[in-house]
Amino acid sequence: MSKQRLLAFTLLATLAVPLAARAADANFTLTIKDRKFDVAEIDVPANVKFTLTVKNLDKVPSEFESGDLNREKVVVGGGTITVYLGPLTPGAYAFFDDFNPAARGHIVAK
Amino acid sequence: MLRNKFLAAAVVAAASLLTRYAYADFEMHYPVIDYREFELEHNGSTSLDSRSAMNNNQSYTVELGYGVTPWWEPEIEFDLGAAPGQNWRYSATTFENIFQLTPQGEYWADLGFFAEYSHAASRVDADQMTFGPLVQKEWSNPFDSGLDTLHTLNLLVSKQVGRNRNDATPVQLSWQSRLRLNPLFEPGIEYYGAFNNIADRFTVTDPTHRAGPVIVGAYNMYQYGKIKYEAGYLFGLSNATERGTIRWHFEYEKAF
Repeated sequence: MSKQRLLAFTLLATLAVPLAARAADANFTLTIKDRKFDVAEIDVPANVKFTLTVKNLDKVPSEFESGDLNREKVVVGGGTITVYLGPLTPGAYAFFDDFNPAARGHIVAK
Repeated sequence: MLRNKFLAAAVVAAASLLTRYAYADFEMHYPVIDYREFELEHNGSTSLDSRSAMNNNQSYTVELGYGVTPWWEPEIEFDLGAAPGQNWRYSATTFENIFQLTPQGEYWADLGFFAEYSHAASRVDADQMTFGPLVQKEWSNPFDSGLDTLHTLNLLVSKQVGRNRNDATPVQLSWQSRLRLNPLFEPGIEYYGAFNNIADRFTVTDPTHRAGPVIVGAYNMYQYGKIKYEAGYLFGLSNATERGTIRWHFEYEKAF
């Protein structure tokens, strides 16, 4: 295999994988203000992909984190992030602000 | 006669190259960046074999990294090792980069790219570049099992550069699948394969294959950071490998 073919193979492998269907059937919003989440529970449909928009209205950064959901994402002060989640089996999935662990909530897939 | 010497030299060169790659890289790289997090990592491995030439081959790294952007994490890595029967020596200083190419969970699989430059500590060794894709797939409830699983694939190509380089193009294929039972304890299996020169079929010696169980976990101390670990045992699956290898990874991370 020539070096050029090797390079082409590597690049193709890099680009090819994520070309399959992307998801996000529904969107939910979570807001952080005064270092608290605006809701403690978010009900989502089970077995579908969805997005969670996390808005941080504070000036200090927060980190949306969930061991149950395998997510850990910083949202800077005044910033917004999108967290891609699911499909989830029915159940409750805990999340918290890693910079302020007192702020906690659940995503409940039904 | 001359042809045999060339062949033997090629085999030895390839084998030494393979040894270096194999023992520097019993580490799974993940394509998701921890933005604004500082990381201090230690990786290690040691081989177990009744043959003295393959026993107690040790490799250690210490790495410092930081998630500079949501898509780029550079690390500086210090590599040490000890071949069987030899003393420890500092082997290389490595500048490692992981690029997150897709948002986690948006596509069918998460994609990243790994690129590092390793500067050899010894004048008789060559510097090397290593690069390739990192792919990760979350698979929830496979076959209605009620379990969450996580699968990671690394496909890394290396090239030596500068003084003392050779023309081999080794490839390392690493794969890990694990059950996300609990953040503290996620058991799985993993495979590490090394193919010493995919660019020239005439210098190919036996590829190495290693596979075995692994446990992965993380303990969150919240504002005090997080401790992550991986521990695995790899069985040698080919003649060119030792009977077994213990590998471990410890990491402390804290967001700033």
